[in-house]
Amino acid sequence: MDKLERIYAKSRDLVEREIEGEIIIVPLTSGIGDLEDKLFSLNKVGKDVWARIDGKKRLFEIVEELKEIYEVDREKLMTDILGFLAELEKRKLVVEEVGCQVT
Amino acid sequence: MSGYLEELKLPDFHLWKRTEEKRIPLSAEIELTERCNNNCIHCYINLPANDEETKKRELSFEEIRSMVDQAVEMGCLWWLITGGEPLVREDFTDIYLYLKKKGLLVSVFTNATLITRKLASLFERYPPRDLEITVYGVTQKTYERVTRTPGSFEACRRGMNLLQEGDVPFTLKAMALRSNVSELEAMKDFCKPISKGHFRFDPFLHLRLRPNDKINRQIKNERLSPEEIVAIELADDERKNGLLKHICEEKKIGRETVHFHNDNHLFYCGAGKTSFTIDPYGFFKLCSSLSHPDCVYDLRKSSLKEAWEKFVPKIRRMRTEDEECRKKCLGCPLINLCMWCPATAYLECGKLDRHIDDFCQIAHARAQALGLEKKVCKKIV
Repeated sequence: MDKLERIYAKSRDLVEREIEGEIIIVPLTSGIGDLEDKLFSLNKVGKDVWARIDGKKRLFEIVEELKEIYEVDREKLMTDILGFLAELEKRKLVVEEVGCQVT
Repeated sequence: MSGYLEELKLPDFHLWKRTEEKRIPLSAEIELTERCNNNCIHCYINLPANDEETKKRELSFEEIRSMVDQAVEMGCLWWLITGGEPLVREDFTDIYLYLKKKGLLVSVFTNATLITRKLASLFERYPPRDLEITVYGVTQKTYERVTRTPGSFEACRRGMNLLQEGDVPFTLKAMALRSNVSELEAMKDFCKPISKGHFRFDPFLHLRLRPNDKINRQIKNERLSPEEIVAIELADDERKNGLLKHICEEKKIGRETVHFHNDNHLFYCGAGKTSFTIDPYGFFKLCSSLSHPDCVYDLRKSSLKEAWEKFVPKIRRMRTEDEECRKKCLGCPLINLCMWCPATAYLECGKLDRHIDDFCQIAHARAQALGLEKKVCKKIV
């Protein structure tokens, strides 16, 4: 299946905080984003992608929405967003919504 | 890693500086209770665990929730749970989980004697950012000479074992006092492997937050002499280097902490800049030690926002006219090596702005031992 058809949701085992415009992802349970003495920081595009991960939107929809905002090359944006999601998934900060793909 | 997501070491996180500039209360501490199941000979706060009258006066879970909500709304990120012994609270788990689910980075200070399998599982599933356990000795005799509670040594070891079985990381630290100083080296050997090679000890024993002459005499008897403090500090490379780094860093930022003779502001420290403390009865404090009645604010009668925005600036504007305090304390180039601050001065003598000779002796002994006294005095004065 096309990776862009995938739908992701934020893990229920984290709490998202916004302090002074900074998104801080606080792991709630063990094994989630384990970083003993570190924190995650999202850049502007990262924040925009993160805000759209809602368990409903397909990745290509996110790409299209952000392409409108940033007016960047679609292929480049797609590659970056896929890479970003892979990182989030590796750290268990997002989960793929199984069975939600649109055929 | 894509440029969208960045992993930052905590000290490098760009948010800290901004929160300081904007005076955001990023860090909070709650003393859940003054009660404790131990009865440590040097303790500045403890009351009996079964003190029902005290228990009735403590904040309820609902009151704590409201204060936490207000703090989170204002940007609070770090939250320390301490006591007394916080685990004597029957609703500890509810409070802890509430803080975690609000997205706070939670630390817990405990003596570990009340850790049960259930609590170890809680910490395993919902890990604290830090779990710090104080060690009072490596033998039962010494440990219980300090805690004055039979069975506490065994209970502490059992608690630590339960945490280790659950793979819950924790760090150990120690208080250095007359009753256990003979085991300080052994405590270091015990603590280091568990605490990732680090060992922290504190030789400064605070007097009671609520004045009590009898217990204060006892605490003073447990204090080590300036020479003894310096000797154990010099024997510990981590501590020695920490002190040197501390004074050098403070010198770099100069005016912030090293005052000049014409500056009579009492609060030269960071109290109330980005952090605050709530005591077990809902009183807001700029720091855990600042218990002067004029410097606490009743959160049961007003909001955290009011305390933060109106009360804190008023306290931080406090000045002293005491000439000795201005010259010997606020104007002292060794102030960063000294235990003196308005809070500790109040605990020692009931005044916020009094010079405390015992502290002065320790600061000078430290400076001399570190080879700093002449250099620092010459450069700054």
